[in-house]
Amino acid sequence: MSNGSEEDWVNNNMGILAVLWEKWREFLRDFYKITLAATVSPLMYLLVFGLGIQTTSHGEPYLNFLVPGIVAMSTMTGSFSAVAQNMSVQRLYEKALDQVMVSPTPLWQFILGQVIGGALRGMYAAGVILLITLPISSSLIFNGWSFLIMFLNGTVFATIALVLSFLAKSYSDAPRYTAYIIVPMSFLCNTFFSTDQMPMGFRQVIGALPLSQASDMIRRISAGGQPGILGFVVLLIYLVIFAGLSVAFIYRKKNL
Amino acid sequence: MIELRDLTKRFGDFTAVDHLDMTINTGEFFGFLGPNGAGKTTTISMLSTVLLPTEGQIFIDGSPLNRKASEAKRKISVITQEFSMRQDMTMDEVMEYQGRLYYMKKKEIRQKTDELLKFTGLEEYRHRVVRHLSGGMKRKLMVCRALMTDPEILLLDEPTAGMDAISRRQMWNLLRQLHARGLTILLTTHYIDEAQSLCERVALIDRGKLDTIDTPQALIEELGEFAVDETAEDSLRSTYFHDRNDAIAYLSGAGDDSVMRNTTLEDVFVERIGRGLGKQ
Repeated sequence: MSNGSEEDWVNNNMGILAVLWEKWREFLRDFYKITLAATVSPLMYLLVFGLGIQTTSHGEPYLNFLVPGIVAMSTMTGSFSAVAQNMSVQRLYEKALDQVMVSPTPLWQFILGQVIGGALRGMYAAGVILLITLPISSSLIFNGWSFLIMFLNGTVFATIALVLSFLAKSYSDAPRYTAYIIVPMSFLCNTFFSTDQMPMGFRQVIGALPLSQASDMIRRISAGGQPGILGFVVLLIYLVIFAGLSVAFIYRKKNL
Repeated sequence: MIELRDLTKRFGDFTAVDHLDMTINTGEFFGFLGPNGAGKTTTISMLSTVLLPTEGQIFIDGSPLNRKASEAKRKISVITQEFSMRQDMTMDEVMEYQGRLYYMKKKEIRQKTDELLKFTGLEEYRHRVVRHLSGGMKRKLMVCRALMTDPEILLLDEPTAGMDAISRRQMWNLLRQLHARGLTILLTTHYIDEAQSLCERVALIDRGKLDTIDTPQALIEELGEFAVDETAEDSLRSTYFHDRNDAIAYLSGAGDDSVMRNTTLEDVFVERIGRGLGKQ
């Protein structure tokens, strides 16, 4: 690529950078709050289920099962809360979304910026957990594929958060979505116990959810295996559907 | 030039804006007047594309305005009635975010921010978080943000709402200066004196419909340039005259409390819109 076309590319996509800058400033401003929020719940789960209740899973220490699940869960909660909370406040309370709507920044770039920013926040949350668990899970493998899955999982939940925040009618809807969607997924989707133990039918439904797939892939890698293609396909399907819905909402929703 | 063509917005059964059709010329200072619920803010929201019209279209210099119209949107800045900005950002951050959304270079953002914050007397508060600013300061910051991108069209929704008299006059002077630079300004306001003082033409809107559109002077002349106010018990009745001598003759026959004065745009507003509201 020549310098001219590189410059054109940067100029044409400045909207994404603007949104990422805004999310970066937010991260710096709320660094301690974000870090604490990313740490407390997963740490509790690790302490109670991992260290407090000493057990094994498939002949392995339970921690080897739990840590990858908690890491996947952290990418979900980190990404979701970074976007859902922020967008709901901006759209319904601060009306700060108006600033974006009237600007020449193409709205797909705003969506993409939110998704990337949200996914990075999810990765940060997972990174904190990885650091904390390093002394107790040094035998687990986390490589480039693990981080790719964390990012992909983060993008899926960032787009879900975007769709829900466009549907939200009041500021208080954001915590409700967390209670109805994120909390059940945290407990059911392959985080604390394998979906194999669930009854037929229920198992397939839960297994098809994005967090179940992300947990499963990260867990396989951590045990020295391959993630498998199916999980990527499932996550990509969710990403395409919810990204498409987000773009459709922001361009077509009559009353934003 | 801003063209509203058959512009309509419905929320369920309620029609907030009803087939508005008007043209605002380039460089014009245009006022949008109407009582509460007339559809002024809804129209501004459609111009800023936060709301999409149910029917009709908006054109900016001949190009349709919609959420994909980046070129048309680049020409517009909006000062909304509410303080629509991130409350946890500092003034500097609000300005930088705006500049970035308009693809401005970092150096340009810094220069423009310095210039505008100095111009509005906000410079010493630039590191203060929006949440901790007074209402007047927030309003000034909204102006700075809107001017950051050198817009051709400025949409102002109740820009002086909640301001004290001094701040209001400062804002008027600022708007006059901007208009002198050639900006097209569309202003909605409750303060009719504000519209009379600033606007070259005004549209009176009632229940989403256009009642009339003309210069303030033409509307006053149509009603009658001279008014006689008579106080009867607890009500005030005004009678309007085209001829000064007719007004004086009427005044001589009226009660002792009666006074003669020049008709204002507010009289036009009350006569045309207020009477209609009274009939509801």
